[in-house]
Amino acid sequence: MLALSKDDDRVPPRDRGEARQNSPGRPRSGAVAGNGIPATAHSLAAERDRLVKKLDSIGSLTDEERAALRELPLEVRLLGDGEDIVRDGDRPSKCCLVLDGFVCRYKLLQDGKRQILSFHTPGDIPDLQSLHLRTMDHSIGALAVSRLGFITHQDLRALIGRFPDLGNLFWRDTLIDAAIFREWMVGLGRRNAHQRIAHMLCEMALRFEGVGLAHDHTYPMPVTQAEMADALGLTLVHVNRVLRDLRLMEMVRMESRTVSILDWDRLVALGEFDPTYLHQD
Amino acid sequence: MELTRQLVNVETGSPDEAGCLLFIDGRLVAVFVQLGLEHNSGLAGKWFLEHAFGSMDKNDQPIFDDLEAAESWVTARLSA
Repeated sequence: MLALSKDDDRVPPRDRGEARQNSPGRPRSGAVAGNGIPATAHSLAAERDRLVKKLDSIGSLTDEERAALRELPLEVRLLGDGEDIVRDGDRPSKCCLVLDGFVCRYKLLQDGKRQILSFHTPGDIPDLQSLHLRTMDHSIGALAVSRLGFITHQDLRALIGRFPDLGNLFWRDTLIDAAIFREWMVGLGRRNAHQRIAHMLCEMALRFEGVGLAHDHTYPMPVTQAEMADALGLTLVHVNRVLRDLRLMEMVRMESRTVSILDWDRLVALGEFDPTYLHQD
Repeated sequence: MELTRQLVNVETGSPDEAGCLLFIDGRLVAVFVQLGLEHNSGLAGKWFLEHAFGSMDKNDQPIFDDLEAAESWVTARLSA
């Protein structure tokens, strides 16, 4: 399985991008791909609650709003590692809530290179923008086996109609999304390889914490080094070197698809990480 | 176009230190570094384009099986 170890550079980034683009049998149109394997009622309830946790981490909810979010109709689908959820150019009629797993937004270049634009934890709705922007200008794919809950635009609009403050909270979420993009832009443009990786690991720790999936700065992070390289504008070789350094400096341990930040203060200092942009207040 | 190699040690901040400078007509065009065992088994021993000079795309840093393949790639790029 995927883990941040040296054995995980199975597929060079460029090959992987081409494989996705050209993979046979994948639906090219429509917003949804997957096998449609349902979750158990119990696990689904816990997974649904992550949307509530996520929104609670960036704002405040009333009991009625929490109840309405838990009752939102979801079409649950299980996607395999590497499967696309929605593609550049699609015109989806649903948004996807990440219930479990790990998802990214990405853009493919003509030569097959891939830039990963963002990572998404359970509780995120990475294509919330599709409610207002009809045509996708990037793709969204699963970086691990992931369970997604698809919410129709119609149901989302009805929810926001009933609870206008939820509309404001979704707006706040997309503004925070933009703040995260700004921070990534600073990293891609101006931070060195050590800072980029340190910063990203700190950010993901707080985001997983926000949805109750990080404990003592330990959290699931099922990405390969190649995927980290695609996200951070680095080569696989540099990602490998930096992760080795962080391990030797006893700042971070990565094994079994799990990141453990061993020295939070030093990692924060290295990455010049200031969590203000996550607005978890 | 005359290609010459010079084996050197490169400070990469990692165990990857065996390097090779590639000159064309006496001018340095590329620095390759041989990847060590800390990389996965598919990469260890291969040659990574650590730095390119001149008109080559600095964002393109491929990995080659051997120095001959690396040289062919550089000359193709510079002749394009």
